[in-house]
Amino acid sequence: MENGTISYIQSLREDLGIFRVTPDGGVPDFKAGQFLTLGLPLESKIVNRAYSIASSPDNKKFFEFVIRWVRRPLPGRLTSLLFNAKVGDKISWAKPAGNLTINDTLPNGEKDTRRIVCIGGGTGLAPFVSFAQHLHDTNDKREVVVLHGASYVDELSYKDLLTNLEDESIAKGKDVWNFKYRAAISRPQEWFNRSWAGQVGRVETFLRPRDNGMSPLEELIGDKITQENTIFYVCGWQGTIDGVMDFLKPKGFITEHDKREDGSFEVKYESYG
Amino acid sequence: MGMAEEIITEPNYEKLCSNILNCNEHVRFAGFVNDKSQILHSAQKDNLDSLLAENEIGMSIHYTLERWRKAQNFTFRLGKERLTFTEYDNVTLVTIPFKGKLLLVSTEPRIHYDPIIEKINSILTDWEK
Repeated sequence: MENGTISYIQSLREDLGIFRVTPDGGVPDFKAGQFLTLGLPLESKIVNRAYSIASSPDNKKFFEFVIRWVRRPLPGRLTSLLFNAKVGDKISWAKPAGNLTINDTLPNGEKDTRRIVCIGGGTGLAPFVSFAQHLHDTNDKREVVVLHGASYVDELSYKDLLTNLEDESIAKGKDVWNFKYRAAISRPQEWFNRSWAGQVGRVETFLRPRDNGMSPLEELIGDKITQENTIFYVCGWQGTIDGVMDFLKPKGFITEHDKREDGSFEVKYESYG
Repeated sequence: MGMAEEIITEPNYEKLCSNILNCNEHVRFAGFVNDKSQILHSAQKDNLDSLLAENEIGMSIHYTLERWRKAQNFTFRLGKERLTFTEYDNVTLVTIPFKGKLLLVSTEPRIHYDPIIEKINSILTDWEK
């Protein structure tokens, strides 16, 4: 394991925070969407856990993570240590890994120019924050849509950053930067969410066709989703992955895990439950 | 061989609320909420005005559920939460978890609570039988 320092902590809620780790020897090369294994000492042992990286691989100053402190049925050991850590504490990390990375080429070797739709449930948004910043910083011309699902409005952890990326897309034009961000709130009836006027329900409801046959996602992009024009990236609880596939399977979409003989697929996912 | 059928019966919240409301003269209100802040049923003594405006009721339920959710973070050490009291100058709020829902009861403040709690617990236990 390598050494680093916790350089920034932003508490969004009691159980949700943004953490930055500055590696002693600088940020190594990695791919947007990968995760990092972090380690902290506990009772003379090092406790490890992997977290998706939310920062862009083009950011060579620090790794960033958005982390939920799940405590039921039992609190996670490393996450509990992180939520009790302070800026300046030492932390160890292992090299980035993971396959939820941006597909740049098709199996036939051609450039993958399909629209990128990212669906993140809760902290499953993290890899797509990395995607969005990387695609932006590398002047990628593909259409990018980031959809985030949360229970409460204060869990929309990167609303500001992603809204700014969409505003920039509107200002500069789609041919320069083509980006959209939308969120869904699953408990709209609760008092705390009373300001919410956007999509309601689980994040996969963006894919559910309305009476006119178009889903909210299709209405947003003004186009029919097909296997030829869109690739989906999904990260969240297994229920989110299953919910997305319930809508995409009937359209003939195939996951990377079940890719066709020719190597083609239209969905990449990573579940954390 | 056939599979055993699991019979899931939802409590009759209307009847439970009515029984709790009428179990003691000092009880002002009884209601059940689920973990999505939805009121499954509630009942209030006819001769009383609500102390909170409608939007304040939503706020109060939110605070109560937030506290309940956070209290459950200690279940693995302290066991299940059984009861909470919050005594204000003008009212006392009691919460009792019941079958994944939360029973909200309000009473007059500064009274003898034990007989009321015993009666409510007996009503809830009787239903479970």
